Amino acid sequence: MHKRLFVTFGLVLVTVSGTLAKKEPAVPTPLSKQKQLALVRVNVTGQSYDYFRPWQKKAPFSKRALGAVLSKGRVLVTADLVGNQNYVELERAESGEKTAAKVQVIDYEANLALLEPVDKTFLDEITPLEITPDTVVGDRLAAWQLEPTGALLATEGLVTTVQMTPYPIDVGEFLTYRISLPMQYRENSYTVPLVKNNKLAGLMLRYDSRSQLLDAIPAPIITHFLREAESQNYRGFPSVGFSFFPTRDPELRQFAGEIGKGGGVYVTNVEPNTPAMKAGLKVGDIVTAVANNEIDQNGNYVDPLYGKIEFTNLLTAHAYSGDVIPFRIERNGNPMQLNVTLEHRDAKDYVSPPYNFDQPPRYYVLGGLIFQELSRQYLKEWGAAWQREAPQRLVYLDHFQSELFPEGNRRVVILSQVLPANSTIGYDELSYLTVTKVNGKEIKSLGDLAEAVKQPIEGGFIKIETEEDPKQIDLDAAQVADEAPILQENYGISALHRLD
Amino acid sequence: MKRSLSFVSAILLFGAISYAQQSNPATSPPAQPEAPAAVPSRSVSPAQAVVPVPVPIAPPKPNGPVQKSLVRITATSVEPDYKAPWNAGALERGVGAGFVITGNRILTNAHVVANSRYLIVERESDPNKYPATVQFIANDCDLALITVSAPDFFKNMVPLKFGGIPALESTVSAYGYPIGGERMSVTTGIVSRIDFQLYTHSSIDQHLAIQISAQINPGNSGGPVMQSGKVMGVAFQGYSGDVAQGVAYMIPTPVINRFLKDVSNGHYDKYVDLAISYSKLQNPAQRKFLGLKDDDRGVLVNTVVEAGPSATVLRPGDVLLTIDGHSIASDGNVELEGERADFQEVVERKFKGDSVKLDIWRDKQPMTVKIEFLKTAWPYLIQGHSYDVRPRYVLYGGLLFQPLSLDLMEAYRPTDLRLRHFFEYFILEQLYLQHPDVIVLANILPDPINTYLAPYRGGIVDEINGKKIRTLDDLARTFAETPERFVIRMIGDGPPLVLDRNKVEAAREQIKTRYNVLKEQNLEEKPESKSPEQANNI
Repeated sequence: MHKRLFVTFGLVLVTVSGTLAKKEPAVPTPLSKQKQLALVRVNVTGQSYDYFRPWQKKAPFSKRALGAVLSKGRVLVTADLVGNQNYVELERAESGEKTAAKVQVIDYEANLALLEPVDKTFLDEITPLEITPDTVVGDRLAAWQLEPTGALLATEGLVTTVQMTPYPIDVGEFLTYRISLPMQYRENSYTVPLVKNNKLAGLMLRYDSRSQLLDAIPAPIITHFLREAESQNYRGFPSVGFSFFPTRDPELRQFAGEIGKGGGVYVTNVEPNTPAMKAGLKVGDIVTAVANNEIDQNGNYVDPLYGKIEFTNLLTAHAYSGDVIPFRIERNGNPMQLNVTLEHRDAKDYVSPPYNFDQPPRYYVLGGLIFQELSRQYLKEWGAAWQREAPQRLVYLDHFQSELFPEGNRRVVILSQVLPANSTIGYDELSYLTVTKVNGKEIKSLGDLAEAVKQPIEGGFIKIETEEDPKQIDLDAAQVADEAPILQENYGISALHRLD
Repeated sequence: MKRSLSFVSAILLFGAISYAQQSNPATSPPAQPEAPAAVPSRSVSPAQAVVPVPVPIAPPKPNGPVQKSLVRITATSVEPDYKAPWNAGALERGVGAGFVITGNRILTNAHVVANSRYLIVERESDPNKYPATVQFIANDCDLALITVSAPDFFKNMVPLKFGGIPALESTVSAYGYPIGGERMSVTTGIVSRIDFQLYTHSSIDQHLAIQISAQINPGNSGGPVMQSGKVMGVAFQGYSGDVAQGVAYMIPTPVINRFLKDVSNGHYDKYVDLAISYSKLQNPAQRKFLGLKDDDRGVLVNTVVEAGPSATVLRPGDVLLTIDGHSIASDGNVELEGERADFQEVVERKFKGDSVKLDIWRDKQPMTVKIEFLKTAWPYLIQGHSYDVRPRYVLYGGLLFQPLSLDLMEAYRPTDLRLRHFFEYFILEQLYLQHPDVIVLANILPDPINTYLAPYRGGIVDEINGKKIRTLDDLARTFAETPERFVIRMIGDGPPLVLDRNKVEAAREQIKTRYNVLKEQNLEEKPESKSPEQANNI
């Protein structure tokens, strides 16, 4: 929360630098006739998982997009294009020739994915795009789209801001270019490359047609992704695991032992089992420099390209998992140095995982009661306004997960809904309850639940205890077992549980 | 009293509007008098109520000269301003109805006279306006008694008598001054349903209410609904037109009689309540597990509110089998005078100091327990509206601290998840045990001393200088101390809010002057100053 507030401070200041950068023409210089555009169409069919009926997938969707052809026969697209895909196809812009493709590497957090055509020669005559990493505020970038004929449609826009913003999967913030650009509607406008001097400068992240502002995943993030993608084991962008707050308030500075007008941010929370905690960072510390870059009171450092920008950029665009980053801090006024070994935090390392694609959700059906594990993906079934629309208690548990479950290393098992059946008479209106115990055993995952139901308590009953009313739900174990085939038949449940 | 335990159920009826306090009747459509028809219409459920509903039908028996009992009440009220609680608040004017009952009293809705500063009563064929005063107000069941001191006022008035509960499908007539008109209006309809309803005036209490199909509009509030010359209820709430039509509610006579009996000792004691939540026991396996017979009896206790009368008597997992000798069915109903009603209706009829006897089933053993209604389960109060109270607050260094309440939530409409959680789960998670007042930094009056403090807005105070802050009084006492600085910890991960006491003191007058703050704190919810007579009676 504080971090977000802090970011709004940041926005105002980021635009300081870059206005002096020379304006270079971004429209492609006339191409020789033989030369092929480094763009392909990408057609994707996919299916997302139905979290309300977790044994099945939703109706298929199709998306048509563009991909940027890179070296070594790879095609770069955004991850939200190919998440939950069943089939990906590349289509040559001019000839309409097609081939199947597979996803080589995907990073949902940075919203990037690399595709590889099954037919290795498919991209042969295309000169791949190089990447230009030095875009600054004031540069002009061209959005490359394709006309139905396969001809290039280039629209130029001005980079107005370079700042840290949240990406669609709201895990941390990443460097983003904001470009003022009047995009034209074309089919295939899902992933749009942004180009400077015929080199790839970014990939469209989102576009607001009213304000005509386009946010782009910038080249430094793409380069980071590609560099790691070339290693055997893709780890993902590092995270440190602490929250911070600006130290502009002189009273807070004084309280934290800071005198004078020095910089630094106040550490408000250190999450367990994270690099920050392992390195010994503590609540109340003031972080004054990261990777030898001084941090001001708002949490910005001076970047050679962009001027002032939030220091988290040093830990994402500029650092890799496994790197050891020196943190200069002040604790009660005493300067210290901590060496933080960066790690990527996997979605599965959260109590309520922030995203889940290409993996079926876990569930357990017991006599018509559907148990699932709380995740943000589950909450997003309530649509774009899920934070308002989804059951507020579950939103609360997700939002405050690190505070409510400081020990981590667990899931929140919820009774998602109830299918009417003989075993669930009188229970059919229950939903969105959090399960604390089953048959007297504490439940910290669906696995725990699956184990616990195997041992009915005296009299052959299964006793489920919930945090909320009605606090207690009892089932007859034998009746549940007898009724299972009918339940599966009636509701078309292919399997009663999925635990892996 | 049955309480709506979760905030969600309150929202369901949010479309209901109160019928007096609408200060702008001009925007409502004009009332269309309709010709009575001869065919009796059937009761219509809300789901079907899309069609402009019932054709009013002629009452079987005239109700007599109701004009001689009906009065028109004009209330000038002051709505407290929770965003600037030192101010008196906004002036509002509303029109409602009332009727004379025995003892020179006028019965009306609480929402007609709540927060009122000046009341005028008028009657048919009399040009005079009579000042009136509130005798008793019951915000939990939306009823009030007012009286007129003018000696001749009641001379030619005819007190109305009360009947019982009208039969379903029987015809009733509603009298009042809908849409601000000055002449009495009559509409008729039939009794559609008798059930527990949320009373939206407090928006936390549920009591018996009768749904009628008569056209009822703002201005009908407080007016009598009659059948065969007797009052069957007091019209009080309904839905706005875009939610449902032909659905209006009246307060039935059991609720009215209870109110009149409660005040007969000179003060209103409010409803009593078991302060528990329960679930139905309709699942055969669960019944077997609990060792219950297959006799469709009993409900399962889920939560026992620590601050309520059942706290030391009942516990979660108990099964309630009978209440005062009435067998409780597994769906929570009892049989009362030949009618099935929610078992809490037995408690509804009790008064402060009464008790109730329960046969319960605990750990597979029968037991008999007695619950005495000595204390009110106060935590519910923050989840309902307050009236005739002065908002409590403490202003310190331009920071406005206020206790969490429905009125506060409605004033600021915060989106903060923690705040909403504290509000909704205040009772179910027994949060009031640690935080009898949930103290919110609700607003900041900008000043150089608090210029960097905006991010703390919406936070809930946990402790100051290492000391837990449980109530607003604690907070005021702490700020009266003289340490060098106050380190305020909010609940959750966040930086402490640090105030230099000397700087706050130095800025104090300046903030007061700049924002025209008349008073820096109010710790008492006492009624605002009224005429001495009124103040004594409330």
